[in-house]
Amino acid sequence: MNEIKRRDPRKEWIARNRLHPQHLEVLAERGQGAASEWLGPNGVVRKNPHAIGFIGPNGVKRIDRSGAQQGGQAAGSTRQAAQDSRRNVTIEAPAFLVAVVPELSGGRLSGHDKDLLGLARRLADADPERPGAVLAVVFGEHKEEGFGEAGIDRLLHLDDDAYAGFAPEARLAALSAVERELAPRHWLLPDSPLGGADLGRRLALRLGERPATGVWQIEADGEAPLGWRCTARGAAESLDIQRPLPRVALALAECAEPVDETRHAAEPLSLAEAIPSAFSRIEDLGQVAVDPAGVALAEAEFIVSGGNGVKDWDGFHHAARVLGATEGASRVAVDDGFMERHRQVGATGTWVTARVYLAVGISGAIQHLQGIQSCDKVVAINLDPGCDMIKRADLAVVSDSGEILAALVAKVEQQRGGQRDAA
Amino acid sequence: MRPEQQGVEVAVLVSVGCHPITGRARRADQDARGLELALGLERQLPGSRVSLLHAGPRGEESEAALRGYLGMGLESLTLLEQAEGSDAIPALAEHLAAAPPQLVITGARAERGEGSGLLPYALAERLGWPLVNGLAAVETIENGVATLLQALPRGQRRRLKVRLPAIVSVDGAAPVARQSAFGPARRAELEATSVPAEPDRELAEWQLAPARKRPKRLKIVKAASARDRFKAAAAKAEGGGGQVLTDVTPEQGAEAIFKLLQEEGVLR
Amino acid sequence: MLETLLPILIFSALGLAVIGAWRRVRLWRQGRPSPVPLLKGLAAMPRRYLVDLHHVVERDKVMSNTHVATAGGFVAAAVLMILVHGLGLGSSEGLGGVLGWALLAASACMFVGSLFVARRRRHPPARLSKGPWMRLPKSLMAFSLGVFLITLPTVGVLPEDFGSWILALALAAVVVWGLGEMVFGMTWGGPMKHAFAGALHLAFHRRPERFGGGRSTGLKALDLDDPEAKLGVETPSDFTWNQLLGFDACVQCGRCEAVCPAFAAGQPLNPKKLIQDMVVGLAGGSDAAYAGSPYPGKPVGEHHGNPHGPIVAREGEALVDAETLWSCTTCRACVEECPMMIEHVDAIVDMRRFLTLEHGNTPNKGAEVLDNLIATDNPGGFDPGARLHWAADLDLPMMAERGEAEVLLWLGDGAYDMRNQRTLRALVKVLRAAEVDFAVLGNEERDSGDVARRLGDEATFQSLARRNIATLAKYRFRHIVTCDPHSFHVLGNEYGELGGHYAVQHHSTFIAELYDAGRLAFKPWKGGRVTYHDPCYLGRYNGEFEAPRRVLAALGIQVAEMERSGFRSRCCGGGGGAPITDIPGKQRIPDMRMNDVEATGAELVAVGCPQCTAMLEGVVDAGAEVRDIAELVADALTEAPQATGETVRPQAVEVV
Repeated sequence: MNEIKRRDPRKEWIARNRLHPQHLEVLAERGQGAASEWLGPNGVVRKNPHAIGFIGPNGVKRIDRSGAQQGGQAAGSTRQAAQDSRRNVTIEAPAFLVAVVPELSGGRLSGHDKDLLGLARRLADADPERPGAVLAVVFGEHKEEGFGEAGIDRLLHLDDDAYAGFAPEARLAALSAVERELAPRHWLLPDSPLGGADLGRRLALRLGERPATGVWQIEADGEAPLGWRCTARGAAESLDIQRPLPRVALALAECAEPVDETRHAAEPLSLAEAIPSAFSRIEDLGQVAVDPAGVALAEAEFIVSGGNGVKDWDGFHHAARVLGATEGASRVAVDDGFMERHRQVGATGTWVTARVYLAVGISGAIQHLQGIQSCDKVVAINLDPGCDMIKRADLAVVSDSGEILAALVAKVEQQRGGQRDAA
Repeated sequence: MRPEQQGVEVAVLVSVGCHPITGRARRADQDARGLELALGLERQLPGSRVSLLHAGPRGEESEAALRGYLGMGLESLTLLEQAEGSDAIPALAEHLAAAPPQLVITGARAERGEGSGLLPYALAERLGWPLVNGLAAVETIENGVATLLQALPRGQRRRLKVRLPAIVSVDGAAPVARQSAFGPARRAELEATSVPAEPDRELAEWQLAPARKRPKRLKIVKAASARDRFKAAAAKAEGGGGQVLTDVTPEQGAEAIFKLLQEEGVLR
Repeated sequence: MLETLLPILIFSALGLAVIGAWRRVRLWRQGRPSPVPLLKGLAAMPRRYLVDLHHVVERDKVMSNTHVATAGGFVAAAVLMILVHGLGLGSSEGLGGVLGWALLAASACMFVGSLFVARRRRHPPARLSKGPWMRLPKSLMAFSLGVFLITLPTVGVLPEDFGSWILALALAAVVVWGLGEMVFGMTWGGPMKHAFAGALHLAFHRRPERFGGGRSTGLKALDLDDPEAKLGVETPSDFTWNQLLGFDACVQCGRCEAVCPAFAAGQPLNPKKLIQDMVVGLAGGSDAAYAGSPYPGKPVGEHHGNPHGPIVAREGEALVDAETLWSCTTCRACVEECPMMIEHVDAIVDMRRFLTLEHGNTPNKGAEVLDNLIATDNPGGFDPGARLHWAADLDLPMMAERGEAEVLLWLGDGAYDMRNQRTLRALVKVLRAAEVDFAVLGNEERDSGDVARRLGDEATFQSLARRNIATLAKYRFRHIVTCDPHSFHVLGNEYGELGGHYAVQHHSTFIAELYDAGRLAFKPWKGGRVTYHDPCYLGRYNGEFEAPRRVLAALGIQVAEMERSGFRSRCCGGGGGAPITDIPGKQRIPDMRMNDVEATGAELVAVGCPQCTAMLEGVVDAGAEVRDIAELVADALTEAPQATGETVRPQAVEVV
């Protein structure tokens, strides 16, 4: 009996009629709830635009017609799609080589390296008829898998203990061997301290070239020996020097857009001749353990800073120790004698450049905010939701600082404990 | 202090700096830090001798700037007098080769002219000496071998052993230079010797202009749909206001902070 | 027997005193020469002592009268004693009798005075030095009583041979004690030294302009053109001889200590101890004998010096620690209060000059600030071309375009400070409302050099000052108006020595004049209780106590005065580069000043100085709002009475 579907034309009509007072009631009864789409009686898809969309952050209703309500996973899938859409490029017989020595900080291509590879690609691909190949010379172990995506055609991986740490002489000997054997048309290195800035200058002088340093722009120029002009920073960033692009160039970050449309072969390469081992007068004794508390404020990358709102200073110091952060303080905390004067952050203290600045109980006087303006991420813990520090912060927690720090310490310790167990 | 430690001859190469805002001549920041390092060494190793060396033209402005170094407590500075726009490297290399010190300290980059930071490398290449850049401190000098601390980003340090004679360059990680005092600066002597100069022809051909502000890189989002592009653009423009957590338990608050710290990779 | 003994005693005491005086003078002459009109000074001395100095002493009525009785009695008794007992003019007939009776009266008067001195020494306040000073009342009594008793037979009240030889001997002993302290001790270094050194100090004072109601507060310039001249003071002998004399005149009354803001804040400075340390340095030795309050946190007895040894050691300890010198806010409260008119601030700046110019050792942010002043002409290191950015919308008249104006508005370095920009805006509004013909120097203006000079960097000060003077020389103006008392003081009182003579007015003075001339009209005040904080550089330095109060009265504000106001105003802690050198203490000076403000129950404190504004506003959880007078005036502006008549008409038209 129940198998026979019985139609109720009146209810169907009410369901179609949005203006009918019983409309929603009927929809609910029919199990469609606030369904936005249903098959109409004549086989036509009907949409109820009122039932779709979501309330946006500003309280305005937004309708997302891409089909991916709220984004989330959908964005991930599109990224996937974008990656998949990269064109594979293989340069079989390059007309010339553009050698790049990436800094590989932390064993991976840094943003700076990728920009530099983008620049190398511009040099290599300038003439589509006679494309050059980008050769990357990589020293030591690395964890990078995306060499091809970054635009590298040939990869010369020199893995030897001699190159570990600070070994400019050994690396220079290797690059000289590359020069002898492969004679790249261009040498590009990142002009980053302790990355390519050092090695690049050594290489240039070994090759007898006057390198362009601090290069941030290049443009084609038929009159120049290599066909390019570059704009380089000089005189402590206060000058722009326009000159023909020399063989060796040390480029700044954002000198070019990184490669994002093509995937290159990153074909492994090796040198035919053995690299003569260099006599080294510099011996690397390894990194020195640096106590984060002893790091100068101006250099510190993670600062936990306490102010007037900190009541439990022992807890504060403990938290800084557990988090491995350098301690800072507001003027008031220093004036009140809780912290030493050289720990004061702000226009009247030290200007800091930390990656993360955790302001605990600091309301954010203008001088203090001035001193932290070049911090990447500011986290505030404060009881007063209206204070300036919370307005400045990327993440703010309105709560008692002591409790939050204690919970944070517990969290970090638990995490570390967990890691140790796993290992 | 160990008995093997003995005084060293240190030459500090200094240049005429340029104030970043007003462009007035001054002692260059990095060179002054280098001198500070040398003066610290003089204290650490009694019997050490610090000499100052500059190659360039002599003028009222540059003399005042050079006296800025002397005001840090030195009695004289050797000035290799050259015409404006000359290449300082041959003159310096010749001077250093004639009476080689054990350690040459210089700032990483000049504040005027090309400021390419090549000078220490060029000198090292010419003299055939090892070079260490980014020096933060000299720990010991024993039997012709110096133990140095090299600065790595974010306050980290690396210990190196270098055979002397060597050239070291310092940047912002070296100790801050002491105040330059007017009295010693006024009294000290500039010992000028004229040296033959080769004009830097290449530099003269380049076009120099005050630095333009570099364009800020736009976040170009290669997205499949207009919606994604719009979202990315909107997210960028929104910027400013951060996330504010009110009425959360301490654990929730700590969780959020913890997440951010992990994302930024500052937890070790 | 006494008749034969007394002349011997008196003249040997006098003889020893002369030797002592000669030795003391030799100590002073170790100092550098200083041209002082000797005879003119000596001639002016009595007046300076009896009038100018008395005005200062008189602030403490009881002590003033005590001193008049004791000192007056002593001087008279000493002179008469020489005549009566020394020269034997005391025969009871004729003039001699009168002298004898006068001597009796004088010594009696002195005795009464010494009783008051004794009373004060029973429970001495902390600021008074103890040690030898505690025996002074007894010595005074011994002298006055001894002289009184030995004079009794002279005038015939008692028989010539009264009492036995034992009594005579006892009396002689008392007189010897009295003479020893009062005459011998005067030049050999007892408490009575102050009388001898003090009198000469008044005669040869380095700032004679201060006497006769004048004011002399500008620091004296160093001669930088002479390569041989010492840059500041390294050793005690680098002071001028009359400065050394001045230090020696100190009575250790501790009035300076009582008013010193740094001392009260627990910073390691005590002006009295500093002067005593200079005396130690002058004579050589250690400060162990000092019996007053020490520098807070620094025990007595560890420092020592000599006339040709360094005052501040590069390392370790010498006579004084550098942080003592850097604690001073140069507020001049000690100088204002000193009954001996000793110049503490000059001495401190002299010593700072050596530390900065020769040692290159200005603490904390000092070196950075000085570098900024050299490189950018302002202490913050801001772009000198951005000096007028705050006024981009105000369309300020520029001197460079106008060439002349009635008033040159000196903006000061507050132009870079967002807080002070509000004050400047308010001031511009007031000037416009009063239709004042004014112009600004704009980017041609530089720091006045105040901070550099007080941090001891005379070279940078003179460089800034000479360039400012050259700029000002290009333009014609009637006077300079500024809202920064520090610029006001430096432009008005310190540029003169370098060739820049200007009529400078503080904005409160100028506004008061405008109001008196009827060019400004104010709405009645509706706010709460208001107090006024006298900036040191306006009040004590330049004597302007009235104008700001007149302006506030014109606004309809009745000032609830703080206990320490006017010439006794307590410093905000912002002067003399003190916030830059930042010597730690037990508490902060501005916090103490804000407590003074709150003690009056005021809701608002009116100030007239960007430094004071910054310091007082920096107090956490302060109970009172800080506003500059210019802001209060700008808020209260209303159209002048004659103008209101005009505005009535259009209203009437509207009604029709």
